Amino acid sequence: MARVARYPRLFSPLRLGPVTVENRVVFSAHLTNYAEDGHPTDQHAAYYAARAAGGAGLIITEEHSVHPTDWPYEKLIHGFSPSVIPGYRCITDAVHAHGTPIFAQINHNGGQASSMYSRLPVWAPSSVPDPLFREVPKELEVREIAEIVAGYALVAGHCHQGGFDGIELQCSHSSIVRGFLSPATNHRTDDYGGPLARRARLLLEIVAAVRETIGRDLALGVRLCGDELIEHGTTIDEAVEVARMVEATGHVDYVNTSIGVATATLFMIEASMHVPPGYAMFIPSAIRKAIALPVVGVGRFKDPLQAERALDAGHCDLVGIVRGQIADADFVAKARSGHVDDTRLCLSCNQECVGRMGLNRWLGCIENPRTGREAEHDRWTAAVAIAARPQRVVVVGAGPAGMQAAIAAADRGHRVTVIERESVPGGQVRLAATVANRAELGDVIRNQVTECRRAGVTMRFGEEATLESLQALHPDAVVVAAGAVPERPWWVPATDPGVDSPGARIVDVTDVLAGRAAPAGRVTVFDELGFHQATSVAELLADRGCVVEVITPGMVVGQDLGITLDLEQWWMRASAKGIVQTTDTLVMGAGPCADERPGLALQLVHHPTGGSEVREVDWLVLCVPAAPADGLWRACRDAGLRVERVGDCVAPRRIHAAVVEGQRVGEQL
Amino acid sequence: MKLLEPLRLGNRTAPNRIVFGAHETNLGRRRVLSERHVAYYERRARGGAGVIVVEDASVHPSDWPYERAPLASECEPGWRAIVDACRAARGRGNEPLVLAGLNHAGSQGSSAFSQLPMWAPSRVPDVATREVPQAMEPDEIAAVIAGFAQAARAALAAGCDGVDVNLGQFSLIRQFLSGLTNQRGDEWTGSDGGHDHGLRLRFAQRVLAGIRGTIGADAVLAVRLSCDELAPWAGIIPEVGARIAAALADTVDAITVVRGSIFSTGATRPDGHTEPGFNLGLVAEVREAVKAVRSDVAVIAQGSIVEWGQAEWALGGFDDPSRADAVEMTRAQIADPDLGVKLAAGDADRVRPCLLCNQKCQVRDGRNPIVSCVGEPRSGHELDDVDPTAGLATGGDRADGRNLTDGRSRAASAPLNVLVVGAGVAGLECARVAAARGHRVRLVERSSELGGAVRTAAAGSGRARLALIADWLEAECRRQGVTIETGGEVGAALVERVAADHAVVLCTGSRPGLRPYAGAPQPSVSDRPSARASASGAFDGVVVWSAADLLATERPSPTGTVRGLDAALPAGPVVVWDPVGGTIAVSIAELLASRGRPVTLVCPDFTVGTQLSLTGDLAPANTRLLQAGVALVKRSVLRSLSATGVMVEDRYTGDATAIACAVLVDCGTLLPDDGLWRATGERHPRAGDAVAPRTIHEAILEGRRAALALDAGSGS
Repeated sequence: MARVARYPRLFSPLRLGPVTVENRVVFSAHLTNYAEDGHPTDQHAAYYAARAAGGAGLIITEEHSVHPTDWPYEKLIHGFSPSVIPGYRCITDAVHAHGTPIFAQINHNGGQASSMYSRLPVWAPSSVPDPLFREVPKELEVREIAEIVAGYALVAGHCHQGGFDGIELQCSHSSIVRGFLSPATNHRTDDYGGPLARRARLLLEIVAAVRETIGRDLALGVRLCGDELIEHGTTIDEAVEVARMVEATGHVDYVNTSIGVATATLFMIEASMHVPPGYAMFIPSAIRKAIALPVVGVGRFKDPLQAERALDAGHCDLVGIVRGQIADADFVAKARSGHVDDTRLCLSCNQECVGRMGLNRWLGCIENPRTGREAEHDRWTAAVAIAARPQRVVVVGAGPAGMQAAIAAADRGHRVTVIERESVPGGQVRLAATVANRAELGDVIRNQVTECRRAGVTMRFGEEATLESLQALHPDAVVVAAGAVPERPWWVPATDPGVDSPGARIVDVTDVLAGRAAPAGRVTVFDELGFHQATSVAELLADRGCVVEVITPGMVVGQDLGITLDLEQWWMRASAKGIVQTTDTLVMGAGPCADERPGLALQLVHHPTGGSEVREVDWLVLCVPAAPADGLWRACRDAGLRVERVGDCVAPRRIHAAVVEGQRVGEQL
Repeated sequence: MKLLEPLRLGNRTAPNRIVFGAHETNLGRRRVLSERHVAYYERRARGGAGVIVVEDASVHPSDWPYERAPLASECEPGWRAIVDACRAARGRGNEPLVLAGLNHAGSQGSSAFSQLPMWAPSRVPDVATREVPQAMEPDEIAAVIAGFAQAARAALAAGCDGVDVNLGQFSLIRQFLSGLTNQRGDEWTGSDGGHDHGLRLRFAQRVLAGIRGTIGADAVLAVRLSCDELAPWAGIIPEVGARIAAALADTVDAITVVRGSIFSTGATRPDGHTEPGFNLGLVAEVREAVKAVRSDVAVIAQGSIVEWGQAEWALGGFDDPSRADAVEMTRAQIADPDLGVKLAAGDADRVRPCLLCNQKCQVRDGRNPIVSCVGEPRSGHELDDVDPTAGLATGGDRADGRNLTDGRSRAASAPLNVLVVGAGVAGLECARVAAARGHRVRLVERSSELGGAVRTAAAGSGRARLALIADWLEAECRRQGVTIETGGEVGAALVERVAADHAVVLCTGSRPGLRPYAGAPQPSVSDRPSARASASGAFDGVVVWSAADLLATERPSPTGTVRGLDAALPAGPVVVWDPVGGTIAVSIAELLASRGRPVTLVCPDFTVGTQLSLTGDLAPANTRLLQAGVALVKRSVLRSLSATGVMVEDRYTGDATAIACAVLVDCGTLLPDDGLWRATGERHPRAGDAVAPRTIHEAILEGRRAALALDAGSGS
């Protein structure tokens, strides 16, 4: 127990009404898209159980809807249907098996929805269309408000029968209660609109109705938004006032907090690595000063020390850590046992968790192949034992694909050696993480290197693997993870080494990040990838004083930053840095400037109109698809070695594809 | 009618030449064809489709293009249920042919569900996803060829009449056929047999030969072939498409001619901005080449053909040369499943029109919407919606599918007097269904014409077909004996008086929304509709117009004259403010630009027309706007009006920009016109925009539900 002393506050128990939590880490409510036909699934149970087994102090499930008018996304759990109760039982039994309490979050999303799935009018306090869904809702009639309150009570009853230890009322993010509380969306003139006390009336009616249903057996919590970050929205003073009203009911056992509105300012709710950790601490801090109930704080907690400090500073009584436990289900257990270095740190990249939610796909993790697949993995691990005959496996390349293949193979009991040409691991991720505000992406390398070390993988750096050198090792199996090499488009003119020519002023993004090229002056970044490559290098060069323009054939520069919630802040930063963004445009050629002016003349075509123009710049940085480095794989295959390939040398893609492929191949050797 | 003549496909015969083509439905459960699929296809079979092609199934696990994409290896029970249901739906000799759609989407698929690399001839990333696919190795090519044969075997075992193989806009086989995507340079860039003149046929040939070898000569082997990739620099051009079709004619029984490719997937099923029958020239060219090789191969026309007259003409009706042997009328049968039956009964004028709006039937979208129709909300919901013209208690339709034409005979057990206030589409649908069920319906409308907001929306650029649903509903109401009164204001006193012996449904539509920017005249929010001021007004030089008022200038007045935009609007540049991102603002900007007005469209999003992604018009709309010279100001909100223009602010940086203009068109959301509802005690049921202003689909859905609820209320 000496280890626990490192985080004394994190590992001190706390009472939440009838429930005692063993530690202060909450796996707070978040969407998973694991539901099918409105019902919870085995995957839900396996997912939550993995976090319970990993030591979470309290688990709060994703939301359960209280009424058929509420169906904003396809895979919502229809809590109002009694047929969910057996699924609830599966979840709560699986979590209780680890001695962990679990609460259910219940909600109606109100106007933050569309009728696409429900085929019913969307219900809201007033006819104010949501900024995301843009559907005009039906202004609730008073009898319909009563229907909603009854729905909360009904679902609380289902949750009670389903074995939950508590109920959390979602009154933030995306919620009809939020809609009533917020002056931005509540324009009513009746008893449910106007002064705060009237806007809070629905909340207080729901609190009373739910408490009456669940009695004193279950805990009841309320999740409030401290700052909606929208015009005319709720801010901290009103949030504190509502917290006081909630406490005054005597029905509530704790208050959870949040920031932002899910359909307007989501990028500040599920903040990516571009937002500083702890950015939302002012909210629990202010509320905790005003009320005696325990308060949960949230907002990009990366590691246990940060959580301990927030508790120690008195900002909150509990800490909500979602992505940290998505990336590493054993986050809490590792902190408790002192193996903090083993924690697979969340990158806050938002690519496979948050990003997949917006796309209606099941929740996963860029670096944890088990996340989202817990139910399957549990079956696999039951079926697949440690390899009967350990094999000698050689992995070529220590990027994310190669290291993951090595980890998976070593976990199966094979003897694994990784051979990397560079002196350091990480491949292209290492380059991407050299850009200041992308540094946290590099945590995936740290995490994988740690895992490799734990699994007993031998890593050899600065060594170029060839067919001959591999054959000399007499491996049972080779995994080639050699990555990709930059490829220049057909229109790039040829260059002579050491001679300044238009072609010599056209460089790949990896050349810039690796320091092999140092563009200066007027720089155009041409982006066919639509992700962080172009925006990162543009910022890097703008910071170095270049005059930067990003040109894309797409309709938006950095199109896929929308998926990771980075688009808004990219726009803000790019505007501040004077980066020009040009869309719908192709670079079709490059040559010398007219009249022997220095630099490079780019031929641009605006593809919607066919209009063309010439842009004179000093440098062109290419962010275009790379070519798979599959030569070694072909050579090994042709020589009859048992060989697999993973990651970019199959097809250059993003980190997640490399990780899942590495895992798949590594565990199937 | 040529459309109703039998069609020979290989050794089998379809009862007519109306094809219900393969399309995404999202009706599946996981990757299995569901009972919802069965009901959906059965309904079209009952309504008289000649050939039904089931939604494409992936022939190999490497292909998982969208979440609910059927997987052939899991489809056999579903195919069998569909075949059985479709055959049972019609009398002997009238059974439609049922073909299983088969596909591998190659690089146009997704890795999101499979978590596997996508397979393609060469590593050319798709335009939409930008994900680099894996160039296929020989063993992978062999696996896919085998997968097609295996899937075809399963389809035949399930009782299908044959298969329809996708070589169209989203297909691996087309990717092998095209220079855009096949840059291999190995044997798979060539052809088998005597076709090696620059054609990349080999993969298609091996796939089709494999299928033919499996299913034999008796079953139907059809293909859907993109004969124009609309990318002449490296893609299949019509002349090459015709050569490919001719080269494949030896192996196949039918070819559906389509156009489009990686740069033009929007050409698959474009909306009303593209001329109906746009492929008829292409199909004629391809057909000529095919018939020169084998005359008994059926060549099927596709491409926004939704009117029976155009279909008939394409088949050589009206004494014109024939261009095709059959016509794919997919959306027409989503809009009206009884298309074939109505044509056969001589009720062509009663076919519910397809509006080519793509608002509910285009479902290739990550949100997995279920296929449906704005005008016929029961489409796709055959199992969970009551048929509006069948008895509530019994459910289901009559076996002859003629429920609409004899709807009156199915009287509600207690006919009611019904007053419907407002003859927009909600009110019209409510009146139509109520009358069809035997109620005595009185429909009152304030203005001089029926159709409400749809009429003005139809005045927008490229949206003329929207008016057809109002025309159809009006004609059906008259046919059902609805008493229609126009031109009279309906006040609360009248409603209360009539309500004494009438059930009342209020379909009073919408009124302009609030204007959350400084300096704008606010529209009246009076409870009394008669006191409603014009939604438009002047402020200090800049004139503010609502979208509806602006479009109304393009409509005939009660006296039959059209005032027109130019006469109505003061001269000078126009700013169109679009906080919605929908169809209205885009159509208005296009309309203004087409009249030579300088136009700036201001929207809060990173792209214009964000809501158009569902209809497939997002990229095309942006292209049209740019080509028309419309200035696009994105990520911005309208803050205030000044004497000379408007002030907009960047949403994220707060930077303010002044835009000079004479006119501001406000395309903001509307409010329900619920004054009459409030004035009559908030007790009468409402439908459509009077509840919340939305689209045609919700108006019709709710109008219909309100009519059906009358029966429930009357105890039938």
